[in-house]
Amino acid sequence: MSGIHFTRIAALLTALVLTVPLFAARGDADFTRFVALGDSYGAGVVNASLNERHQIHSWPAIIARQAGAPLFVQPLVTYPGIGPELELVDVLSFPPVIRPATGTVTIDVSYPAPYNNLSIPGAAVQHMTTLTGAQQPTNTPTAFAQFILRGLGTPVQQAIALHPTFIAVWIGGNDLLGAVLSGTPAALTPVETFRTAYNAMLDQLVAGAPSAGMVVGNLPTTPAALPLLTTVPPVIINPATREPLLIGGNPVFLVADLGGGNIGQLPPGSVVLLTAAGKVAQGFGIPPALATQPPFNQLPGAGQPLSDADVLTPDEQVQIIARVAEYNQIIQQAAQQRDIPVADINALFNRFAAGFHVGPFEFGPEYITGGIFSFDGVHLTDLGYMFFANEYIRTINRAYDESIPVAGLWQYFANNEPGTTASGDGTRWTLSDEAAASILRFATPLPKRRLRGATH
Amino acid sequence: MRFASRSFLSLSVAFLIATPALPSGFMIPEQGAKASAMSGAFTAIADDPSAVFYNPAGLAQQRRLSGIAGATFITFDNSFRGDPNDELTSGATGRYDNHLFIVPNAYAVVPIGENMTFGIGTFAAFGLRTDWADPWIGRFISRDVNLKTASVEPALAWQTSDGRFAVGAGVEYRLARVTLERNNGVLSPFTGRIVDVANIYLDGDWAGGVAWNAGVLLEPNDRFRFGLSYRSDMDIDIDGEAVFTQIPTGNPQLDAIVAAGLPMDQRISATIPFPAHLALGLGYGGAAWDIDFDITHTTWSRFQTLVVEFENPNPPPLVAPQNWDDTMSFRIGGSRRVTEEWDVRLGALFDQNPQPTEVVGPLLPDSDRLGASFGLGYYSGPWLADAGLLFLEFLERSTNGRSPEFNGTYRTHATLYFVNFGVRF
Repeated sequence: MSGIHFTRIAALLTALVLTVPLFAARGDADFTRFVALGDSYGAGVVNASLNERHQIHSWPAIIARQAGAPLFVQPLVTYPGIGPELELVDVLSFPPVIRPATGTVTIDVSYPAPYNNLSIPGAAVQHMTTLTGAQQPTNTPTAFAQFILRGLGTPVQQAIALHPTFIAVWIGGNDLLGAVLSGTPAALTPVETFRTAYNAMLDQLVAGAPSAGMVVGNLPTTPAALPLLTTVPPVIINPATREPLLIGGNPVFLVADLGGGNIGQLPPGSVVLLTAAGKVAQGFGIPPALATQPPFNQLPGAGQPLSDADVLTPDEQVQIIARVAEYNQIIQQAAQQRDIPVADINALFNRFAAGFHVGPFEFGPEYITGGIFSFDGVHLTDLGYMFFANEYIRTINRAYDESIPVAGLWQYFANNEPGTTASGDGTRWTLSDEAAASILRFATPLPKRRLRGATH
Repeated sequence: MRFASRSFLSLSVAFLIATPALPSGFMIPEQGAKASAMSGAFTAIADDPSAVFYNPAGLAQQRRLSGIAGATFITFDNSFRGDPNDELTSGATGRYDNHLFIVPNAYAVVPIGENMTFGIGTFAAFGLRTDWADPWIGRFISRDVNLKTASVEPALAWQTSDGRFAVGAGVEYRLARVTLERNNGVLSPFTGRIVDVANIYLDGDWAGGVAWNAGVLLEPNDRFRFGLSYRSDMDIDIDGEAVFTQIPTGNPQLDAIVAAGLPMDQRISATIPFPAHLALGLGYGGAAWDIDFDITHTTWSRFQTLVVEFENPNPPPLVAPQNWDDTMSFRIGGSRRVTEEWDVRLGALFDQNPQPTEVVGPLLPDSDRLGASFGLGYYSGPWLADAGLLFLEFLERSTNGRSPEFNGTYRTHATLYFVNFGVRF
C-alpha cells in the first residue's frame, strides 16, 4: 500500500518537475493584448523605407501572427513610404543600380488608440521613456514620433495604456548605430546613460503592467554581419579588372581622415561604409601619388581623402564592439533581475554572418544577394525579419514553456497559389483604387517635407 | 565593390542540392486477389496460379490447366503538416493529387505429366507515385515521383508423387522506368521572395533486368504446411533524359541570369537497386479452411545511395544518401469455405519501413504499415472469381526535426481493391 502511495507521489513530483519551465519568466505568454517597443527594426523598415509592404512583415507583426494575437495595429504608411523605398533596378551593371521609388505617401493617423507596434525608427533606449510625438521634429525619432506616438504619451506609457498581456522589446541598436554611421565611437551612448535608460524603461513597464509576460533582446556585436561595413573594400580597386590593385604584390589601402584631421592610409582591418560607395567610385581615397596616373586621373575625387565618417579603423571597431558588449551585459542583468528572458540577437547575427541553409535555400550576409539585409545595408529584408521574429519566438517558447510555431519560409514563396507554380511573380502588388480611396479619405496629410528629410 | 553573388553563383549548383532521391518501400506485394485478401500470407498455401509470384513451389499442387487475370486498384489519402519548429515548413500543409493506380496481373498454369507444372505470370511488384498537389511547398525538393515496373515470369515446379514436398523456380524479366520532377527556386534580389525559376524533369526510359525466384513447399501431414520463397535482388540500369525548363519570373535580368546558368537538356543514367525478398510461411488447415502465417525479410539496405550521372559537366552528378535498412513484415491470413461456391478470407499485416528518419521526405514519406484485409472467393463450374480489399494505415511519421531540409509529419492511408477472374479445366 505505502509502496503504491510512494510511487504515485514520486510520479506526481516528477510530473511537476518536468512541467516547470527552466526559466522562471514573469507573467504568461498570453497574446490577447500584445505590444512591441523598438526602433526601425521593430517598425519594419526595409530598403531605407517605412511602408506598409514591409511593415506587415516587421518582426513584431510576425510574432503577433504566429502567436495568434487577435489585434495588432501598426501605423501603416503607403508605398513608396517614408524614406522612399530603395529598389534594385539593375543587378548586372557594376556597381548595381539601386534607386529610390517615387510616389505620394499617405498616412492614416485617425486610429484612436495607441498602436500595438510602438517602434520608432531612429529611437535609442532613452527615447522609450521620453519621446511623445508632441516634441518639435528635429531628428529622425522625433519626426517619426509625430505620427506613431501622436502626443499620446511615451512608447512605454502608451504600451501600458493598452493593458498589455505580453510585451516584446528590442531597443538599443541606435545607441551604437550612430557611432557606426558617423565613423566615430564618440557618438556611442555612454554606458551609464544606457544603464539608467534601460532600467528606467523596464521599471516603468513592470510597474505599469505587472502581470504581463515580457521578452527583450540583446544587440549584435558582429560588424561582419552588416553589408554596411563589408561591401566596399578598403583598398583601391582597379576599375578595369574590378580586382584590388596590387603594387609589389600588395593591395593599396585608401587614404582617409583617421580622426582629428590626421590624414593617412587606412590600416589593414579598416572598413569603408557602404554610404561612402559613391565617393569611392569617384576616386576619393586614392593617394595623391596615384591620383595623377591613369586611369585614376580620370576620377574627379582622386587625391582627396575619405572623411572620418566614411571609415572605421580597427581601433574604432574594437571600441564599438567593446561598448556593445557592455550594453549586452546591462540588458542581461536588467532582464535577469526582473525574470525577463533575453532573445539572443547577437547569436542570430553571428548566424547571419556565417551564412546558413533553410531547406534547399542558402542565406548569408552579402549585400543584395544574401537575402537577409536590405538595400540600405543595415535593415533586414522581410525574410531577415522572419528569422529575427523566430529567434524571439524560440526564446518565448523556452522561457514560457509555450509552443508558438515559428514563421515558415514557404510563406515567402512567390507562387503559392494553385496553378501559379509554372510562371509569374506574385510579390508585386498594388492597392486597388477603392482601397486607396478609402485610405485617402481618412488620411490626414502630414508635413511631408519634414518626414521626407528623415533618415534612419 | 564586392557583390559576392551567393545565390547566383550557386544557381547552377543549386540544381543539385535538394537531390531527388529514389523512393523506397516501393514494393507492392498485392499481386493476386486471393493472396491479398489474406494480407499476403500465402507462402505456405500458394494454391492458385499467383503462386508464380508468391511461391513457385505451390504450382506443383495445381493439376488443372487454369488461368486468372485481374488487377489491384490503389487509392491514397494523405496529408503533410509542417514542423512548427522548422523555419521552412512551419504552418504549411500538403497532400497528394488524387489518383487511382491500377496494377494488373495475369497468371496461367499448365500441368506437365505426373509431377511437373509449368506456370507463367505477369505482374508489377514494384511501383510508387508521390504526386504532390499544387501548390506544394516541397516542390523545390520533389514534386512528383513515378516509378513503374512490369514483370513476366515463367516458372516450373515439381512435386513428389505423394504431394508432400514440392520445389519450384522461375526467372523474372523485370522492366522499370522512373520519372522525377521538381522545381528550382532562387531568392530574387529584386523582390526578396523565393521564385520558381526552372522545372527539372528526369525522365527515365524503360529498361530491363533479370531476377530469379525459387520456393519450397512441405506438407508433413494433412494439418501443417511450410513454405519458403525467395526472390533475388537485381539492379536495373536506367538511361533517360533530363529536361530543364525555365520558368519566367517576369524580371528580364533575373531571367537572363537563370538562362545563363540553366543546364542543357541531356542524357542521364542511374541504377535502381531492387531488394531480395525472402518469405517463410507456416500453414495450418483442415478440409475447408486454411490459416497461414508469413514472416518476410526484404534487403532494402541495398539502397544506400542514389546516383544520377549527367552526360555533361553541368550539372555535376547527383549523389543522394538513402541509408535504408532491411525490413521484415508479419502477415497472417485465413480462408474458409462456407458453401460449395463461396470462400471467405481475412488477413492482417504489419510491414516495417526501411527509411531512417533523416531521409523521410517528399520523395517518399514511408512509415510502418498496419493492414487489415477481407475478401470473397466464388467458384462455379470451371469459373472462379476473387475479390477483396485491404486497408493500409501508414503509422504517423514525423521527421522530429532530423531532416536536414524538410521537417514535418506525414499521414498516409491507402485502400487497395483487388479482383481476379479465372477459369480451370
